[in-house]
Amino acid sequence: MSGSLIWYIQRISAVFLLIYTTWISVFFTTTQIISFDTWMIFANSFLFKATTSIASVAVLLHSFVGLWTIGTDYLTGRTLGFLNTSFVQYADIIRNFYSFLYILWGSAFALFALFIIWG
Amino acid sequence: MSNKLHDRRPVHINLLKISLPISAISSITHRLSGMYIFFLTLPLGLFLLHYSTKSEANFLVIQSLFQTSTIFTTFVAFSFLIFAYHVLTGVRHLLMDIHIGESLKASKVSSMLVFVLWSILVMLVMRAVVL
Repeated sequence: MSGSLIWYIQRISAVFLLIYTTWISVFFTTTQIISFDTWMIFANSFLFKATTSIASVAVLLHSFVGLWTIGTDYLTGRTLGFLNTSFVQYADIIRNFYSFLYILWGSAFALFALFIIWG
Repeated sequence: MSNKLHDRRPVHINLLKISLPISAISSITHRLSGMYIFFLTLPLGLFLLHYSTKSEANFLVIQSLFQTSTIFTTFVAFSFLIFAYHVLTGVRHLLMDIHIGESLKASKVSSMLVFVLWSILVMLVMRAVVL
């Protein structure tokens, strides 16, 4: 993947999530008394289900780019070597394990989210 | 001489020895808050959505929980405040992407502004949760 594509994925998902979050926040702050009925009408609407599904995928892409950046910035031989020089040879293994962890966690989250929204 | 200097060149970076300007603190806390959200706020939000839409009884449990100040409400409020912080610093980064506030001075001012805005939000949420 090209660097510019990764850059755009992170920014476009960020803008989508910003609009989505603003919309949800406006619902919660402007609705005077949120009863079960008003909440269910909102949460069961196609608009909420569709946008929340897109948001789950957007948050997955957005966080993968961010977490990948953090990993390649801080989990390298140069930075880990400061803690202990013996870590240097394991830097790639540590970073790959970290990547595996967040990909697993993020995928599980998005899958659960889709199940909860449409199930 | 030059050889000696070359030998003393630091190979490993002590991240704690670097003194960071406020704009860098804004950037690194954006990353840290992002990690918090990824591992805690997201599953928490999903749990709240799942639980509150299951049945009216469940919804009322959540609603009554939020009317009292408990460890759970504090955790929820804290998690969403961290999210709000990430959003605020994120907007600052997005504005810089479209070349707004890119100068050294502007980035310092916007870092401060984000922190002030977030502090106000924290106080508003604390008032709503505690009182």
